[in-house]
Amino acid sequence: MDLPSGIRNYTYDRDMAIFRTKTHWTMLLILFVILGTLPLYIDNHWLSVANLIGITIIAATGLNILIGYCGQLSIGHAGFIAVGAYTSAVLTNRLELPFLVGLISAGLLSGFMGVIFGIPSVRVKGFYLAISTIAAQIIIIWIINHWDSVTGGFNGIVVPPAKIAGITFISQGSQFYLIIGIAILVIFFAKNLARTRVGRAFIAIRDNDLAAEVMGINLFRYKLLAFFIGCFLAGIAGSLLAHWIGFMNTENFRLTESILYVGIIIIGGLGSTIGPILGVIFIRLLEKGISFLAPTLESTFDLPAGFTTGIGPMIFGIVIILFLILEPRGLAHRWQLFKASYRLWPFSY
Amino acid sequence: MDELLQYIITGLTVGMVYALIALGFVFVWKSSGVANLALGQLVLISSWFTYGMLVQVGLPAWIGLVLVIVFAMALGWITERFVLRPLIAQPILSLITITLGLAYLIEGLVNFIWPKSVAALPHIFPQQTIHIGTAVVSMEYLLAAVISLVLFILLSLYFRYNRMGIAMRATADDQLAVQACGIPVTKIFSRSWMFACVLAAIGGVLMSSIGGITYGLVHTGLKAFSVVILGGLDSFLGAVIAGPIIGLAENVGGGYLTPLTWPGVKDVIPFIIIIIVMFLKPYGLFGEERIERI
Repeated sequence: MDLPSGIRNYTYDRDMAIFRTKTHWTMLLILFVILGTLPLYIDNHWLSVANLIGITIIAATGLNILIGYCGQLSIGHAGFIAVGAYTSAVLTNRLELPFLVGLISAGLLSGFMGVIFGIPSVRVKGFYLAISTIAAQIIIIWIINHWDSVTGGFNGIVVPPAKIAGITFISQGSQFYLIIGIAILVIFFAKNLARTRVGRAFIAIRDNDLAAEVMGINLFRYKLLAFFIGCFLAGIAGSLLAHWIGFMNTENFRLTESILYVGIIIIGGLGSTIGPILGVIFIRLLEKGISFLAPTLESTFDLPAGFTTGIGPMIFGIVIILFLILEPRGLAHRWQLFKASYRLWPFSY
Repeated sequence: MDELLQYIITGLTVGMVYALIALGFVFVWKSSGVANLALGQLVLISSWFTYGMLVQVGLPAWIGLVLVIVFAMALGWITERFVLRPLIAQPILSLITITLGLAYLIEGLVNFIWPKSVAALPHIFPQQTIHIGTAVVSMEYLLAAVISLVLFILLSLYFRYNRMGIAMRATADDQLAVQACGIPVTKIFSRSWMFACVLAAIGGVLMSSIGGITYGLVHTGLKAFSVVILGGLDSFLGAVIAGPIIGLAENVGGGYLTPLTWPGVKDVIPFIIIIIVMFLKPYGLFGEERIERI
């Protein structure tokens, strides 16, 4: 890790710290202050966008641990989010259990499903795994759609608002604190996971799983652990999504949504903590921009009727393709370049 | 017993079409090592293009169908040239995800040009029904099976005797050696993509002339994945044999399991088969088991 000139680390603790300089700490503090006061100066509409971004960051961070760190391609992430959402919905609506129980069990059940569908990863990889996770998603959605007595089937299920220790999170503002709070915990967890033995094992498996096995990494254990962590976070995100929307049906969890998640972490940059965050903000704001501009464009220029529904997927597809061709390391790489040039300014290196 | 025969015949014929679409995947996989996850969307857009030519423009069936083939070839060429070629020699993860981007793009394009969700193709094939034993089979199904069969035979002849076909097999075997022999590998790649798109288009026309054009065609493409997984990713023979098996499992299983479980079980069976194959024999019936070295 590069430091500005003149700053040296004298202890190991200091060398390992995520935030090392006073500038870092100041910027972190400013970020927290901005996040903490955000509901004061943006309206409900933009708060709901922020909430969606927060939830997506949690899910994308999970997927990034799975794909970006461990190299196990999963195209069924929306299915695992659905498991979390419905677990939480069923537990809090039908059984009237507290929100926290729903949240934790959503994560655990999702993680458990991830481990089951991740078992093939021990023997196969790449395309095989992609297909088995697609199959997982289709099977999961089919079960949810038809298990009427529990999940409400096609009619959907109403989800009560989140409630912790007497506080009900019902307004967008209060939910913002809940979601962003959990998102920050998740980011902190992901950042630190990458630096532990587990994270290093994941990276070794990603780079060459045979070599990793020869070095004494238990592939079975670590690959399934990656699936568990990735899908656990998907479940947490799903639970938050359910309580945030207040109503669930499987329309929220189409296969294209899973592809979008893969696209998000590709655009953000695989294998970095900042990547999914940048990717999510980029994609969700792009989505927002399109849904804002497209109807206006359609009515002003008299475009065909499919313009509004078709333009979004088209742009996402093009963005994913362009990023893979032109900037395969994603926005995170751009961010690194920016930081480097900022640190070295006014010199070129 | 009556319905069993019915299920078997329907299953076999539909399975042939799956096998046809799956062959397109195997071509691309064998020659260039790209896993084409946009298969379902390729089926979808070709079916809608057929609809556009036959219904919206109102061309006679044969001109329309020739145009569909031309369109599919153009689509394959463009895809290879502008999407896949910049990524030659990139990691497999990029190669898979770029086809996902392609899938997204094609789906948007379909929504954009044909905003309807359902449409019916005019009857290209005769409508009579034929009685085989106690089962009643419509000509459409039989013709679909016959067309698939003829295409299988033509393709195997092509690969056996045509220079380009032999070059494609050689590329599948060893890219470096082929390059050393002076065979243009990029041309082979683009040829294999054109093949994949044409096969997806024919499969799409056959499926949508039977069942109409819906979003379900994407799932038809996804079911072709269960064919390649069961047959083995790099085996033509595997795809041809696994296709009817998947079709049979889907229709017979769907027919008898629907009363026991929930409706729509038919459409999930191929995906359950994928999971089972993954657990038991991940490289499929005829696939070559990869032995890796560090």
